[in-house]
Amino acid sequence: MSATFWWVLTIICLVWYSTVTVYVGIRGAWDIKNMLSRLEHLQNAEDEGESQP
Amino acid sequence: MTHFTWIDASIVGVYLVATMAVGLSVRKYVGKVEHFLVAGREMDVYLGIASLAATEFGIVTCMSSAELGYKHGFAGASVGITYAIAMFVVGYTGFCVKKLRDSGVVTIAELFEKRFGPRIRWWSGLVIVVGGLLNMGTFLRQGGDFLMTVCGIGLENLEVTMTVLLAGVTFYTIVGGMLSVLVTDYLQFVVMSIGLLAVTFIMMFNVPWSDLVSVVQERHGAGGFNPLSNPNLGWPFIVFNMLLNTAAVLTWQTTIARLLAAKDTKTGQRVYTATSFFFVCQFLIPAIWGIAAMATLEDGLITADNAAQAMPIFLSRTVPTGLMGLLVAAMLAADMSTDSSYMLTWGSVIYNDLLAPLRKAPWSDKRGLLVNRAIVALIGLFLFFFGLWYQIGDNGIWAYLTVTGTIYLSSMSTLLVACCYWKRANDWGAAAAIVAGAIFPLTYLILEQLPSTAVRAQSIGPYYSGIAAFAGAAVAMIVGSLIKPMFVTDSVSEANL
Repeated sequence: MSATFWWVLTIICLVWYSTVTVYVGIRGAWDIKNMLSRLEHLQNAEDEGESQP
Repeated sequence: MTHFTWIDASIVGVYLVATMAVGLSVRKYVGKVEHFLVAGREMDVYLGIASLAATEFGIVTCMSSAELGYKHGFAGASVGITYAIAMFVVGYTGFCVKKLRDSGVVTIAELFEKRFGPRIRWWSGLVIVVGGLLNMGTFLRQGGDFLMTVCGIGLENLEVTMTVLLAGVTFYTIVGGMLSVLVTDYLQFVVMSIGLLAVTFIMMFNVPWSDLVSVVQERHGAGGFNPLSNPNLGWPFIVFNMLLNTAAVLTWQTTIARLLAAKDTKTGQRVYTATSFFFVCQFLIPAIWGIAAMATLEDGLITADNAAQAMPIFLSRTVPTGLMGLLVAAMLAADMSTDSSYMLTWGSVIYNDLLAPLRKAPWSDKRGLLVNRAIVALIGLFLFFFGLWYQIGDNGIWAYLTVTGTIYLSSMSTLLVACCYWKRANDWGAAAAIVAGAIFPLTYLILEQLPSTAVRAQSIGPYYSGIAAFAGAAVAMIVGSLIKPMFVTDSVSEANL
C-alpha cells in the first residue's frame, strides 16, 4: 500500500458514496412507502378477518 | 474556538424534530411483536442498505476511525477494507446467512436451539447481551464528548447532553420498534451521508492531499500506509480484524437484524453485497479527518490519552458556520441510528432468548410489546450510567469495541458455522465454545482496568487476546463435540437428537 493507493481509494470512495447516496435516497423512500403500504394492507386484512363471525 | 452558532443550532433543531416526527409517525403500524422486532419482515433492498449503513456508523465509529487515522495514518483505515471484503463475500456466497434467513428466526440464538437445545440458546443470548451492552456502553459518552468539543459545550454539560440524546432515541425506539428504526435510519442515512461528504470536501479544500501524505510519512513512515509495516499494527491487527469482521457480518445482531427483517433471503443477501463498500468509506473518511487533524493541530495539544479528541477539535476549528450545523446533524444522525438499532436488537435478544424459559405459553402481542418496550427503557438506563462510569484504556476506542465485541462474536460465529456445516457439532462443543470465546476478552478487559496488571495487559495487546478468543472457541467446539460421545451413551445421544 502506498500514498497513491490511498489517494485512488479516497477518490473512488467519494465518488461512489456521493452517487449511491442519491440513488439509495430515492429508492429507499420508495421502499418505505411500499413497506408501510403492505403492512397497512395486512393489518386491514387481519382486522376484517377478526370482525367476521 | 468553535463555529457553532444559533444558525447551526437551528439546523440541528429542525433535524431532531424531523427525526422524532418520523419515528413516531409509524407507531400505528406496530400491532404485533413481529412488527416491533423485525418490521414484519417487510424490509426491501434499498431501505435495508440505508438502514444498515446508518446503523453501523455511529459517532463512536467516526471517533474510533479518526483516532486510528491519527495514531496510525492511512494504515488505520484498513479495517474498512477487511470489513467490506468480509461482508461482500458472505453476502455473495450466502455463507451461513442464507440458512440463517431461511430458518425464519428472530435472533441467532433462536437458531442455535434447533441444533444445540434450549440451554445453549439461553447461554448464547446471555453472552450476546453482555458483549453487546458492554460494546455499546461507550457510545453515549463518545457521542457526548464529540458534541461538546465540536459545539463548544462545557464539560459540565456532558451529563445533560447525554441524557437528552438518550431520551429522544429511547422514546421513538420504544414507540415504534424496528419500524421506527428503519424509517429514522433512512432519514439519518441521508443526513449523515450529505454531512460526511460536505465536510470531507471542505477539509480537502483546506488541507491539501500532499500535506496529509507528508505528515503521515513524517510521523509513521511506511507504516502509515501499510499496516503490515506498522509496528503497532502488523499481521495480528489484520488477522484479528479479518476474523472479527467476518464474525460480525455473520452474527452481530444489529447487522443480521437487517437480514432477518428482509422480505426474503435474496433481498437480505443483496443488502449485504450492496452495503459492503460503505464500510470502506465509513472508515477511510474519518481516518482522513484524523490525519488532517495531525497535519494541522499544534504540537503538544493532543497526547496519547486524548487522541480521540484530535478530530473533533480539528472540525470545530475548520468547519464554517452553517456547515457546522449540518455536521452536527450528521453526527447526531449517525449516533441516533446506531443507538436505536443497538437498543432494539439487544433488547430483542433479551426478550426472545433470555426470557424464553419464562414463557410457558406464548404471550399475547399486547404483553409482548409491553415487555419489549420496558426492556428498551432499561437498556437506556444502563447506557446512561455505564457511559458515565467506564473509562476506555490507552489502546483506544477501536480496541475497546473489538474486544467487547469478541466476547460473543468469537463463540457465536463458531456456533453458527458448526450449526450450518458440521454434523458432529453438539451442545457440549457449543457450551465449551461459549466459555472459551468469552473468557479471553473478558480477562483482557479486567486486566486492563486493574492498576497491578494494566502493564501486562498492554504488552499482550487486544489483537493477540482477540485471536486467542477465536482460536479458543474453535478448538473448544471441536474438542467438546468430539468427547461427548465418549461420555454419553448412544441411547442418550439418540434421544437428544
